[in-house]
Amino acid sequence: MSEFTINFEPLGLRGKCKNNESLLECARRSGVGINSICGGTGACHACRVQVLSGTVSRPSTVEYKVFTSKELKEGWRLACQTYPISDCKITVPADSMTTSQRLQVEGLEKKVSPELPFQVYHVKIAPPSLETPVADADRLIQALNNQHRLRCTSVDIDTLRDIPGQLRSWNWESQVVVRNKEVVTILYQKSRQLGLAIDLGTTKIAAYLIDMNSGQTLAARGIMNPQINYGEDIISRINKVIKSSEAAVVMQRLTLDAINELSADLCAAAGARPEEILETVVVGNTAMHHLFLRLPVKQLAFSPFVPAVSLALEVRARDLGLNIAPGAYVYLMPNIAGFVGADHVSMLLATDAWKAKETTIALDIGTNTEVSLIYGGKITTTSCASGPAFEGGHIKHGMRAAAGAIERLRIDGDKVQYQTINGGPPVGICGSGILDALAQLYQANIIDNSGRIIDSHPRVRVHKGQREFVLVSEEERNGKPAITITQHDVRELQLAKAAIRTGIQILLDISLCSEDDIKQVIIAGAFGSYINIDSAVAIGMMPSLPLNRFQQVGNAAGMGARLALISTRSRAKAQAIASRVKYVELASSPEFNKVFVQANYLGPYQITNK
Amino acid sequence: MNKDLVSTIADLNEQEALKIVKDRLSAGEDPLKIMEDARKGLEIVGERFASSEYFIPDLVYSGEIMKLITELVKPQLTREEETRKSGKIVFGTVRGDIHDIGKNIVTFMLDVNGFEVIDLGVDVPEQKFVDKIKESGASIVGLSGFLTLAFDSMKQTIRAIEDAGLRDSVKVMIGGGQISEEIRKYTGADAYGKDAMAGVTLAKKWTGVN
Repeated sequence: MSEFTINFEPLGLRGKCKNNESLLECARRSGVGINSICGGTGACHACRVQVLSGTVSRPSTVEYKVFTSKELKEGWRLACQTYPISDCKITVPADSMTTSQRLQVEGLEKKVSPELPFQVYHVKIAPPSLETPVADADRLIQALNNQHRLRCTSVDIDTLRDIPGQLRSWNWESQVVVRNKEVVTILYQKSRQLGLAIDLGTTKIAAYLIDMNSGQTLAARGIMNPQINYGEDIISRINKVIKSSEAAVVMQRLTLDAINELSADLCAAAGARPEEILETVVVGNTAMHHLFLRLPVKQLAFSPFVPAVSLALEVRARDLGLNIAPGAYVYLMPNIAGFVGADHVSMLLATDAWKAKETTIALDIGTNTEVSLIYGGKITTTSCASGPAFEGGHIKHGMRAAAGAIERLRIDGDKVQYQTINGGPPVGICGSGILDALAQLYQANIIDNSGRIIDSHPRVRVHKGQREFVLVSEEERNGKPAITITQHDVRELQLAKAAIRTGIQILLDISLCSEDDIKQVIIAGAFGSYINIDSAVAIGMMPSLPLNRFQQVGNAAGMGARLALISTRSRAKAQAIASRVKYVELASSPEFNKVFVQANYLGPYQITNK
Repeated sequence: MNKDLVSTIADLNEQEALKIVKDRLSAGEDPLKIMEDARKGLEIVGERFASSEYFIPDLVYSGEIMKLITELVKPQLTREEETRKSGKIVFGTVRGDIHDIGKNIVTFMLDVNGFEVIDLGVDVPEQKFVDKIKESGASIVGLSGFLTLAFDSMKQTIRAIEDAGLRDSVKVMIGGGQISEEIRKYTGADAYGKDAMAGVTLAKKWTGVN
């Protein structure tokens, strides 16, 4: 019995394929998550893969319908219809990967050449003697001047405390880290030079440990923001701070503890120590930025919504309580205005959207959604309160993207086909599934364009005085409560969808730009990376544009933080972006109500002249 | 026949509703009776909105239908009939907050239910509420706010009404966002409404209208 080795890219996973086993089955056994809504019958076309090398079975009739002859020539196939006949190399595109797998390859990778905010010098100094009893730090500074023509004017106090002991134990040889003419840290000559990039989100904190010289990510991890106990959204957290100044201290402490813990974990994974982290960059929305620095937030929440500071900041890590190298700094990217903060600047930086020549919409979908329109060399930006519906919040059977969540869904006549994260039995529905559900219900005419569930489908029923559509029935769940989309859920989703669409539309309107003029739409953020663009366009959340104009770029804010970490040129760009952006307060636009009402309808956005 | 107008408006059937109104007017029917039916229809719209069956665009559409009906009926109404309202209400989104979709829904429903609503708009300073209450002699005040931070502005507005010596002559309702009994107590309001219909029910209760 023959057995072939299958190489799955870009995951780099290998699997053994048995005789008469499809690529899909082989992928499943090998731990490669490929989408399959129909269960491998060739009906859903979700398991598209590209065969890069090797011989496989001829395309099936289904595949001749799904792919053009050009695509078939390029090796595009449905994994469930393809049987290897030799060792093969397969590419699984992001669209075909299940959510848990996509987390690992998330984020666009970008290269910049490092231009560090500090310099590192190798210095060897002579031991002191009775003839030259010159102080240790003074000899170090003299050596920097003599050996590297560098005039340092100060030494960080904590570093100063370490210098005599360290120089002696290192036999007078060390790496000296100098930042703005100050000796911030000295390192053992073999120490690595590391940096930490933090995307401080309202819900999640993502951290990246970076080799400052190569720009390479050594380790990355994401955790929930522990401030969540003080409220899910920024307004409730700000409210807590206004009520009690103690809450501000506690919330800052929680975030710092979490970041310290993250950095310790990342260092452990990379075989390093937090003291080797010579610089940290933090990006977040304005509220997260202010809470992290314990800046006043009250004025941020009241009209006209002004931050305490928008300029980029450099703060000594020690002053914040961040455990990295003594004397090292935290760089905070500039904010824009209102709640649109450094994370949006970071996203515009990482995606190059800010200098796009073609008309571009760039947005980061979350509890708060920030949108920018780049048109005719100008950048306008707004923030919309899209709420937690797309993260499963306020939805009866909603849940976060975790095992058992329905993440893809299709309505086919009386049947509902779905796919769950990790493939187990369904327990609820997460953001991308919720979006699919809304689009599918609308396209199947089970809800009308006003969002009303119409009582015409066998799966529509009335439960506790409210219409609902049954995704998975009690019988299908062996007696457990049914998983449904209720009329109320549809309303929550309409509000979320309308908020996002209103943001896009108001920016288009004030710039006198039409939908068709948009040449590219860049969607960042975790949720935005997993959604079906088809569904988002179908319900009118996204402009009605050809799908090839959309790009899903993953955590671009985290990417921008990494760029700013190693490149002072990127920092200068960030400041330039922040000062170029024109901020629009959505609710103060005279057209807001009209556009918002219109955006509540499902389907393509209709311009009204009323 | 009367029921027809009520249900066509409730079902948002614009063409049919306008036709019925025209027919009834040319049949010489009491215009007040027609308006009363139209209001009943809108009340059902409000109920359907409260139960999630209808949504914001439906409500706005029903308002447009009502506007067209009013335009047809108005010439037939005497001045006195036209202005016969159940009570005056001063309404606004409090200082620091600029959200008005929720407020517009409540004021619309109050208007439909026969109240005279004086809408002060958004980000309304405390003194403006006080001045308007004095000027209009309103007996009800509605304070709206979507931001949780608006609760402080509500509290300050109610205190300003108290300082002006007007607290005993008005009933105050608050609403919007995540308002609860605790917040009502905190602000010192008389009652809170969790949706537009609740606001109407309160206003009716306070003015003794059925």
